[in-house]
Order: sequence, then C-alpha cells, then structure tokens
Amino acid sequence: MSARPVSRGLLSAASSKHLRSIVPRVAAFHSITPKNDQSNSEPVTHFGFQTVKASLKATKVAEVFSSVASSYDTMNDVMSFGIHRLWKDHFVRSLNPGRRPGGQPMSILDVAGGTGDIAFRMLDHSEKVNGDRETTVLCTDINADMLREGEKRAIQGGYDSNRISFCVENAETLESIPDNSIDLYTISFGIRNVTSIPKALKSAHRVLKPGGVFACLEFSKVSPAPLDAIYQQYSFSIIPLMGQLVAGDRDSYQYLVESIKRFPSQSEFARMIKDAGLANVGKGYEELTFGVASIWKGVKPLE
Amino acid sequence: MNNTLRANLSGPSIRWILSKPIISSSAPSRCSFLAAPRIELRRRYHSYQHPAPAPPFTTAELAILSASLLHVPSHGFSDAALSFGARDAGYLDISVNMLSRGVFDLVHYHLATERLRLSDKIDFRKPENELPECLRNLSIPAKIRVLCMERLKANVPIIHRWQEALAVMSLAGNIPASMSELAKLSDEIWFLAGDESHDTTWYTKRATLSTVYASTELFMTQDNSKDFEATWEFLDRRLNDVKTIGSAVSNIASYLDFTVHAFANVLRSKNAPFF
Repeated sequence: MSARPVSRGLLSAASSKHLRSIVPRVAAFHSITPKNDQSNSEPVTHFGFQTVKASLKATKVAEVFSSVASSYDTMNDVMSFGIHRLWKDHFVRSLNPGRRPGGQPMSILDVAGGTGDIAFRMLDHSEKVNGDRETTVLCTDINADMLREGEKRAIQGGYDSNRISFCVENAETLESIPDNSIDLYTISFGIRNVTSIPKALKSAHRVLKPGGVFACLEFSKVSPAPLDAIYQQYSFSIIPLMGQLVAGDRDSYQYLVESIKRFPSQSEFARMIKDAGLANVGKGYEELTFGVASIWKGVKPLE
Repeated sequence: MNNTLRANLSGPSIRWILSKPIISSSAPSRCSFLAAPRIELRRRYHSYQHPAPAPPFTTAELAILSASLLHVPSHGFSDAALSFGARDAGYLDISVNMLSRGVFDLVHYHLATERLRLSDKIDFRKPENELPECLRNLSIPAKIRVLCMERLKANVPIIHRWQEALAVMSLAGNIPASMSELAKLSDEIWFLAGDESHDTTWYTKRATLSTVYASTELFMTQDNSKDFEATWEFLDRRLNDVKTIGSAVSNIASYLDFTVHAFANVLRSKNAPFF
C-alpha cells in the first residue's frame, strides 16, 4: 500500500524519464512488489530498489558479489576514476593501525573485506609507519568467492600468512569471533549490503574490546544539490552501462547504485552507530569528495 | 554589589544584541519560516543572558587528553603522547581515534583549559579587598599586563615543546579553531580586567590584545633569560606600542577633524555652494 508511492518517489528523485527508458526492469519490479508484500507476513527488506524477503537478501547479495568478484577492483577503478584508492588510503592512514612504542600489537578485524583491499593497507601501514610486524588482520566476508580473490592476492603480494587470515563470516553474527577481542573493526563499502545493519553494529560492539574502534567507509549522500544531481545522473545512467561493458554484468551494477541510494544519510547512520552503544567520534562522520563517500568512527566505551 | 554589576552589563549594549538568539522556539507562528530550524548562535564572548557553553570535549576525551598532557614535556605534542595518555586512562592505543583532530585536539585542550583556569587565578571583577595586596588599585592596562603574564606562565612547563603546538595550529585546517581560541582568550582577559566598553573599542581592544599576546607567546618560545624576564620586557614594549599607536590614531583623528571643519568654515565664509 505504502510501498508504491515511496518507490516511485525514489525513482523520480534518482533520475528522469531517461532512467526509466534505460532500466525498464526496475520500474517493472516496482509495480509488482507491493502485492507480494501484502500477501506475505514474512519480514521484508530492500535489495536495491526492490523489496525482497529478509531471508533472501543475503543470497541475492551473494549472487551479485560472486558474479563481480574477479572484476571487482577493475570496476572500482573505472567507476570512481581511481578515487576509491585515495579514500581507502586516507581511511587507513587516519586510523593509524599498528603497535605504538611500549604498546601491544593490534588485532584488526576487516569485515566484508573479501578482496583484502583494506587488510593489505592495514598491514603495510603498520609495518611502514609504525614498524610493526606483529599486528594481525582477520579478513572476513560472507562470500567465499570474494575471499578467494583476497587469498590469491595475499599470496601474490607476499604477505605473511601468520599476520593475515581469511574466514567466511556473516557480519550480523560474527560467530567464530569471541567477545571483547578486537582492537579495530573496519568495514569498507560493505555495510549497506548487510540485511540488518543494527544487528551488524551490535555484533561489532560485541567483538570490540572496551576502547576498541569501529570504523566504516561507505557511500553516502552528496551535497550541494547541483553536484548531487550530476552524481545521480552519473550513477544511474553511466555506472550500469560501464558494468555491462567492462564486467559484462549490468544487473549487479544496477543493484550497486540502487543500494547506494537506499543507504541512510551521514547523520542517520551516525545515530545508528550511537544506538548500538558506540560513542561517535567528533560529529560522527567525515565526508570525502563532497560526501560521495564518508568515514564513520565509533569507540566502544570502557565498562 | 553583584546585582548592580549585572544590571549595568545587561543594558542594551551591542553585546546584548549579539547575544540574543535569532529566534526563540516559543516565537509566534506568524514568522514560522524563521522558527523552523532553531538557530543557536555560538557564544564568542561573555554573556550574562546565556549559560556558558558545554565544554568542547566529552568525558572520555577529557580522560585521554588530560592524561596525555602529562606526557607532553617528554614526548611533545605528538601521537606518542596521545598513546601514552590513552594507556594511562585505561584505553587502548587505537582509542586515540576518538580524537577526531588528533594532536590538534591536545593543543586545543591545553588552550581551552588554561583559558578557563585564568579566572580561578585572577579575577579583577571581585571586590578590591578580596584581591591579593599586590593586585589592588591597578589601572586597566596594568591589569591586562598581569593577566597576560599569568596566562603566559601557564605555558612554562611545556614551553620547550610549544613550537610544535604552534606548528600544528598553523596547519590550514586548524587555523580557524586556533584563531577562535585566541579571540576567546583576549575576550577573557579584557572581561576579567573589568572592561565594560560598549562601543567599537570593544573590537579594537580585543584585536590589538590578540596580536600582542600571539607575538609575546612566540617570543617566549625562544626566550632563554632567567624567569623569562626578556618575555615580560617584550610584553611591556608591545603594550606600550599599542598605547602609542592608540594615542597616535586619536591624535590623527582629531587633527583631521579639526582640519576638515576649518576648511569647511573657510568655504562657508566665501559663500561656496553646498556649505
């Protein structure tokens, strides 16, 4: 009942007639989904602009990432003109991981870090900046295909297997990770794909040591408005097209841009972090490139 | 006594006008376009109408910063001092991420705490008989000098590290916060000296004191004299300069005023048009 106007609003906000002509598939889905919601009492969630059963979202996200795993980083470079590397470098540098003089080596958990982008940067930073060869990174992802990419790269890059390990984990539960065991929890361009974000934040709170840091790098809302209009046009018309040309997979990239659009705003997500019991850092977030991406940090309070 | 002082200062002065919130939440709805987002003016000066703003740091940040400051004499204004401070406060090394501006937060903490501590040390608004003997019956410039010296003395334990702090403060992103802290300090000093000016000198006094204080502080980082005597002499010379400049400006102003009027009168006596 209420899903219809909402989704129409999102579509028109996202783009104009132009979009509808490019993606009739999405528009078609919208006219069907509200009926499905009504006939079913199972909880639903969003998958891009579609509404799906909560239990199905994980599988659908898995499909997306299995199909893009091999071309994932090439596509990132193409779509962001390489800027995602600057964001990730800044993210890691600002966290400054690694053992300090007179301190202990850190134990870092990189969630949804399949291809190891952040994990390798963490290891490089702690070694080159802080002279630390002991800090360890556990790289988890819900998707085994993405993790295999990461493992392959860890071997290619000659990383010490004692310092980096890979493990399939659901970010909502993090079952194999004990309570109060992690210094630094990072999740980079992953949290918007999680079915229940509050659950994932609760798990982050659970595994972090008191005083431990939660850090999230994710797409966010662009401002000012004229730039946002350009950005929306770019993401809804050009990114799916590039996905088709470069990776041969239009649907996955269509999902990608829709999921970005659905992700909460900077301040809303900062509030969600606070609600999970993590203290916001500063105003809660730091915007990168006019808010195309943002960094949120939270610190688990002492008991 | 206190009440009369309050009444004096809460008159319709520019300070009062500036300190009024743009719109209060209980405003009638005919100006609802203004009432929608409630705008709070940030307080940049002393006001009797508004409570003092909350301290700029949370309790957790304060725990780390106050512990870190103790490590500044040995480790400087650096990440190392912050890590040691975090450990002392029971946090992890990584917890220093709580400070969104890193080392600058440590510098800012020092500036803010020492500014706020100044009023506990010396407050010329108190009745004369509550002041120590040596601080009674001083002129306003003498009071300013005493307050400046008191604030500069708070830098003595870390003066050998203060150049690092000045370097951090001069980074582009930190300049606005550093300047605002300097402005607040000079406002604090004039306020504690009991200055009640309501005219444009409110601004010029604060601007000149800011330059005097900043240059003296810079001088102090290079001062090797016993008990910083050279710094106090430097401060006196700067304060004298201000006095000289101030009287020069007012002399020039009265000279110009006289000349323009005399010239106009000459023209009038000649029946020139427009006069």
